[in-house]
Amino acid sequence: MSDKTEVNLTGVKQSKGVWLVKVPKYLSQQWDKATEKGEVGKITIGKKQGKTEVRFSLDEELTALGDVGEKDASLQVPRDHSFTMHTVDGQTMAVFSQSSADEISLEGMVVHRAECRPVVSDNYMKLKKLQIKASTKPQRLSQQLERAVTTVFKPVANHDFNVEHEKKKKSEGKMVRAERQVVLDMLFSAFEKHQYYNIKDLVDITKQPVTYLKEIMREIGTYNSKGAHQSTWELKPEYRHYQSAEEEEMQTD
Amino acid sequence: MTSLGGSSSSATEYTVRVPKNTSKKYNIMAFNSGDRVNCSTWTQARMERDMSARRIYGEEESAEGAAGSEFGKKHREEARRKKYGIVTREFKGEDQPWILKVNGKAGKRFRGLKKGGVTENASYYIFTQCPDGAFEAFPVHGWYNFTPQFKHRTLTAEEAEEEWGRRNKVVNHFSIMLQRRFREQERGGEDDDDENEKSGKKKKKGGGRGGDLRIHDLEEDLEMSSDDSDSSMGDDGEGKTKAKKATGKGKAKKKKRKSSDKEALEDSDDGDYEGLEVDYMSDESSSDEELEKGKSSKGEHHPKGIDEASESEEESEEEKQNEEEAKDEEEEEEEGKKTPVQPEKKKKKDSSGESESSDDSDIEGETASALFMKKRTPPKRGGRGSAGSSRTGSRPGTPSIDSASTSNTLSAAASKLEQGKRPTLGPSTDSPAAKRLKMEPSSQSPVPSGKSTPQPPSGKSTPSSSDVQLTEEAVRRYLIRKPMTTKDLLKKFQTKRTGLSSEQTVNVLAQILKRLNPERKNVNDKMHFYLTE
Repeated sequence: MSDKTEVNLTGVKQSKGVWLVKVPKYLSQQWDKATEKGEVGKITIGKKQGKTEVRFSLDEELTALGDVGEKDASLQVPRDHSFTMHTVDGQTMAVFSQSSADEISLEGMVVHRAECRPVVSDNYMKLKKLQIKASTKPQRLSQQLERAVTTVFKPVANHDFNVEHEKKKKSEGKMVRAERQVVLDMLFSAFEKHQYYNIKDLVDITKQPVTYLKEIMREIGTYNSKGAHQSTWELKPEYRHYQSAEEEEMQTD
Repeated sequence: MTSLGGSSSSATEYTVRVPKNTSKKYNIMAFNSGDRVNCSTWTQARMERDMSARRIYGEEESAEGAAGSEFGKKHREEARRKKYGIVTREFKGEDQPWILKVNGKAGKRFRGLKKGGVTENASYYIFTQCPDGAFEAFPVHGWYNFTPQFKHRTLTAEEAEEEWGRRNKVVNHFSIMLQRRFREQERGGEDDDDENEKSGKKKKKGGGRGGDLRIHDLEEDLEMSSDDSDSSMGDDGEGKTKAKKATGKGKAKKKKRKSSDKEALEDSDDGDYEGLEVDYMSDESSSDEELEKGKSSKGEHHPKGIDEASESEEESEEEKQNEEEAKDEEEEEEEGKKTPVQPEKKKKKDSSGESESSDDSDIEGETASALFMKKRTPPKRGGRGSAGSSRTGSRPGTPSIDSASTSNTLSAAASKLEQGKRPTLGPSTDSPAAKRLKMEPSSQSPVPSGKSTPQPPSGKSTPSSSDVQLTEEAVRRYLIRKPMTTKDLLKKFQTKRTGLSSEQTVNVLAQILKRLNPERKNVNDKMHFYLTE
């Protein structure tokens, strides 16, 4: 659990009022392309016949919808936008920021909400059309093939995997019964690491034939047919001594 | 910053900057306006992530290391999940809720849940004005809705349970509410405030509780059967109604007790409790009655005082559907006493033209019901008379016993007796049913049985449960105590109890009276017998 971070309340104390502005996606994309300085446009706050009007105009350089620098892109993002202002009566909103060092500070209170809307133009309509087309394209596409695919699923005399398997078997040969003591040692060291083992895993580890292994296991261990660890083998209690430090004392024959 | 001096419009222009290098991530902390949060009043605040969900996600981690672990368990689990297509969402620290604590430990707590989908289609920016007049826009990274958190959570589960219990209807409501109230009273006003907060309304709980015993118009309506009040209340909102209900129910409970004592009923209560299995009522009253019964019984079956017996008889004869009656029925059913199918028989009683058996069972039932009801309040003597007469009138073969003509019957019977007919008495039982006073049952029972010739009662079912002996001694006792009419005497020795048929009872009684030769006096135009000892 992270430590409690003391919230820096300076912003609120100063009663800094901020605006929460909803900006369309394309505009924010353009803003991301801004230069280092960060200037993206101009806001004009004016009073027209008594009503407050806020307008935003995007910088010239940022109007191109392609990469920065291409001036003659086919489409251009509209330049003029207007902000519609709302009050924040329904909600009390504050802004808090989290720095990379996990420092939280309260930046201020929201005093106005605004929505940035473009002034409608042909340009904008074209842009929107493009957007809609792109969004309605389905993610998956069914395509009809003219010819059947013949590169896979050829009938094979023997599959690759099988061939490999047989080769491996041949090379390894049948599992040989090792000395009892040797096997026991192997088992005990395996049970040091885990408590429950499947017989297949034990065969894998010890490389002993199953019957031989089972015989030995029956001697030193028990089989769990039910319960949480189903169909697993574990050592008999007298043989095991599990401690948190994983030290075991075992009795050997 | 350029200011354009316009003619009709004055506008000021500001530059908008979107800083690129911010290491800070901006988020919105939204409160509900109803909570009246004023950030400027905060002196100190702490915020941290609520990582309690990590436990849930991390729960699959079983014991690692030797003990308790299986070989290859992880792989197997993974394979299994893939096979079944179980996709577990990762525990993202970034998306966990915030916990905001304001003004230290004693202050408020808030929990901020992340609102999804904020940055999907439109971006939010925070515009702040810099000292140089330009605006700076910061993108909003996340939106968190903060809600106040209360410290007292102890009641929610309880309340929810209660609420559910109320809807369930067949639960012991009263005690729940009472207990809760008591508990709350112990806890003090703390809970009051909490509940007020929670419900968000001004509750009259304090007032309601204080005015527990105040008679309220609304409460009288609530006073009806628990079910009705429950259902009606369940539909209403909580808060107010809950408070009222609490008090109402408490009131109702008390009122019910009172009413059971006084038998002062409202019409609306009629039939409310019929056939209901309301634990409260039966538990309470029956426990009361059992206590009483235990007190009064001397290890015998059902000793009763004369008054009690008479009261009980009178009352039980009533066919009014009282609380008590209904209660009795329920209790009897529940107690599984020796009067089975009694309510049915009682109902049968309503219909005229009854057979003897039903009548007899009625009587037996009446006494039984009398046993369970300790306090049988003022009997309806008026009704009793008529009911009694009507009942006896409906018996076939029994001359209709009018209040005025009881003696006639008896005289007639007495004259019959002179012919030497000797009715038999029922088999003796040890239980002196109708007598509270110490009798000598042992001495009593052999005597009458010795007297009577062993003739089985004719056509009568062997009364396995007869508790009353129609003996001279019994009659004598009655008459010594107070003057009684023949009708009263007959009532004392109910046919089912004594095991005799009604005719036999009459005969025997006449005989006894003849022997005793009591003195007579006229009270209220009725002939009363009495003895002085």
